Amino acid sequence: MSSFQISISPSRRVAARFIEGVRRALQKALAEEERENGVTQADIARRIGVNRSVIHRELRGHRDITLGRLAELAWAMGREPSFSMPKIRNAEGANHPGTLGVVPTAEVSGFMTQADGRNYSFVASTSAQTFPTEA
Amino acid sequence: MATLIELERNGVLTLLDPGLGSREQEERRIYLSKRALEWLQNKLPQVGATWNTEVSPTEQLDALFYLFCSGQTITYDWRFKPLRSVELGIWELKTADIRLFGWFPIRDQFVASGIGVKRDIIAHKLYPGYIGECARFREQLNLDEPKFIPGDDPNVVVSNFDFP
Repeated sequence: MSSFQISISPSRRVAARFIEGVRRALQKALAEEERENGVTQADIARRIGVNRSVIHRELRGHRDITLGRLAELAWAMGREPSFSMPKIRNAEGANHPGTLGVVPTAEVSGFMTQADGRNYSFVASTSAQTFPTEA
Repeated sequence: MATLIELERNGVLTLLDPGLGSREQEERRIYLSKRALEWLQNKLPQVGATWNTEVSPTEQLDALFYLFCSGQTITYDWRFKPLRSVELGIWELKTADIRLFGWFPIRDQFVASGIGVKRDIIAHKLYPGYIGECARFREQLNLDEPKFIPGDDPNVVVSNFDFP
């Protein structure tokens, strides 16, 4: 049996998954707004004063989303952006091989709340990463 | 004839390790052909980003593999689909820069036969080539029948596809 894993640093793995997770949360929120309230991408672009193509590129991953733009998009969709960084819980009982030290790194998660209090998760977290450690 | 697991044990296919966390369960699996594996090992590190964004093509793929294998909702909207039916029961998994071509022998089990860079595929009109190569590889593979799930309904090939 053989397996393959993409070679990427633990920090960049967390970063990329977080960024893509935020982007997907925005896509989900937009889809819900369109379905439930008829709000379009063009409406949202108009509300924050940019061209619709800018929003489209940001949501498709063709352009980075700044933290400020994230908040603007949330506002334009009637939601409140929020962010938290809970500590990593102890990895006791983890399935990782025991030959490597299990070192908690960072768990990054967040959520956007709708005006009515419903939570929309854009959680992109890793609970623990394995690193070779000194004996 | 053989199952996916037997083909993996025989070295015909390679199982992708998505690098899930210690408390995460692998809900979906991706198997790689030799060609796809070689691409990931040799070509991917050299692929530059088409878009001037923070997330590199390698990181995009890692995030896509994580999304797929952790069983999260695949899509919410027709414009932002990371999984798309092509033809002949062949599907593509997508990032902003990368395309993976393959099929589903059973639900939530994807076999990737070929991988390419989106800008090259479009610029050189390579879609037919990737589709043909995928169909030929599937035909030649000593996999139990039926070898693939036909049709283009994403809800049939993956669980948790949140879009009609």
